[in-house]
Amino acid sequence: MDDQICPRCKTSKYRKPSMKLMVNVCGHALCEACVDLLFLKGAGSCLECNVPLRRCNFRVQLFEDPMVEKEVDIRRRVLRDFNKREEDFNTLREYNDYLEEVESIVYNLTNNIDIIATNKKIEQYKKDNRDTIMRNKSKVSRDELEIERLIEMEKAHEEIRRKECLKLEEEEKKKKIRAKEALIDELMFSSADARNILETFAQNAKEEVKAQAPVPKATQFSTGIGFGMQQQSGFLPLPKVDEGVPFIYSAMEIETDGPEPPHWHDIEKTGYVKNVRSETDQERAGGYQANIACLRALQEALLGLYHVAERTELGL
Amino acid sequence: MYPGSTQQKFWTFKDENDLVQLRQEANEHFIEKHKAGMSPEQSAKFFLTPAEERLLLRQYELHLRDFCRRFHPAQPRTVYATACHYFKRFYLKCSLMDFHPKEILATCAYLACKVEEFNISISQFVANIRGDRDKASGIILANELLLMQKLNYHLTIHNPHRAVEGLLIDIKTRSQLKDPERLRPHIDEFIDRLFLTDACLLYAPSQLALAAVLHAVSKLQENLDTYVTDVLIGQSGADKLSNIIEAVRKIRTMGKSLEPLPRDTLRLLEKKLEKCRNQENNPDSAIYKQRMLEEAIDEDDEPNYPVTSESGADENLLTGIVKLRSPDT
Repeated sequence: MDDQICPRCKTSKYRKPSMKLMVNVCGHALCEACVDLLFLKGAGSCLECNVPLRRCNFRVQLFEDPMVEKEVDIRRRVLRDFNKREEDFNTLREYNDYLEEVESIVYNLTNNIDIIATNKKIEQYKKDNRDTIMRNKSKVSRDELEIERLIEMEKAHEEIRRKECLKLEEEEKKKKIRAKEALIDELMFSSADARNILETFAQNAKEEVKAQAPVPKATQFSTGIGFGMQQQSGFLPLPKVDEGVPFIYSAMEIETDGPEPPHWHDIEKTGYVKNVRSETDQERAGGYQANIACLRALQEALLGLYHVAERTELGL
Repeated sequence: MYPGSTQQKFWTFKDENDLVQLRQEANEHFIEKHKAGMSPEQSAKFFLTPAEERLLLRQYELHLRDFCRRFHPAQPRTVYATACHYFKRFYLKCSLMDFHPKEILATCAYLACKVEEFNISISQFVANIRGDRDKASGIILANELLLMQKLNYHLTIHNPHRAVEGLLIDIKTRSQLKDPERLRPHIDEFIDRLFLTDACLLYAPSQLALAAVLHAVSKLQENLDTYVTDVLIGQSGADKLSNIIEAVRKIRTMGKSLEPLPRDTLRLLEKKLEKCRNQENNPDSAIYKQRMLEEAIDEDDEPNYPVTSESGADENLLTGIVKLRSPDT
């Protein structure tokens, strides 16, 4: 976020932490001070793309990328008209096509592709579907219904809780008063030691606190909204990917075609290494050992000794 | 690992007859293509026979050895061996009239430098060549891909040099021979001689190494026979012993019976080659220059691989499919 810089006055978030970047419909950002200065009269054109802008349309930039801001803006505008819902379509396929179309309109407008054609399309749609648009605008969508229901529930819960709290407090107060009275009575009429009586009462009070009922397990948020949407069946199970048979390592078989060459550990035991130039410290640092060269030379000397060319593959 | 390598699978042949047959096929293939209405007698006179080709190739193998020996900076010996392998393999597939051996020789040496990790630039490389160096580097680079293609991209070569080291270590460790280091000059000399023969196309590198060591031992009038039979081969390979002895004997005969090359005939053959070689692959010819010019113009459209018209027609070579002739594979 530190590299947010106003393109006009070059103020950065780092130098002026209170700076706010504002965007308008075209998606180009300006800082608040510049907006105040440039749009003193309430309207003007964008510095970068010369689109006429109104001051009242400036909003604080929420996303880092101004293009995203622009897209949000356009999406809001487009969805005001394209407000059909799944119930308005006969098949899921049609609904998906419709969504696809909306997305392509938003994309075109955001990326300045075929602006005129796209706007015409929107106008056409508005004309064709005026009734549906109006009807849907008045209708509250299913999501909104759900939210309203939740808010209602929340309110009701809140009410109940508030009442319960009040009740508890009341009882607490009464209890305390009763305890106090009992203590005073005890002190007045009892023959026991005053200190002992005080201690027993303090003990009782402590135990009472401990004995309070355990808190029931939370099934809802503190606001009273239940976890998850109860009417939905939840997510689809993850698809299982067939990974095939797991790899099992098996040692490579070397066709020797000659006497068996010595093994790695034989090389020092049999004294082969004595007849090879031993490696220098520098070579050892690189991972080289005289054994390696020795073993390789011995292998090459022995492999293929039995070779008899039975196979001849003449190629022309 | 030689067993299972492409060298063992595709480039170790059963005996000399296979090699002779392959060379003859290459020769006939070329003549068939280029005789263009000559009568059989004319073509027999005009073109080189397989035997003549063989003589010339042996001559160029000698040149290759001298070139590698004189090379500056000094090369590891495996570079020469690898280059020699490439050279021999290449002329099993192509006639020497098709591609002139002096060009292929340099290309083989250059490719071998790369494969054997003897890092050298093309300008350093052509500094070892007399004559027009720019032209030489042009020829080498143009032929490099062609060479690899003809080798079927089987570039890894198992050479007997490391096997010799292994045998010497083993001899020092497990036999009573005094001062095995004495053997070294004789071994090296014999291995160099072997590369002038076809032994590397017929036997495994470890067999070549063993033959070289035994040859050096007999030169010093020592005896390692008990070591070979009892220690090296031992009980487990007793039934294979006769094979090995046979192989070693043959390799040693090959190394010893190198005939000297007849100088005068070779001079005549060189002249004959100049006449009958494929002019399309001769950098000095007008046809070649014309072709290069055309390729340079086409370069924008497609990569400029030096695929010859001949190999373009031969689908087998392009796709790398090898005709198998053995019953068991």
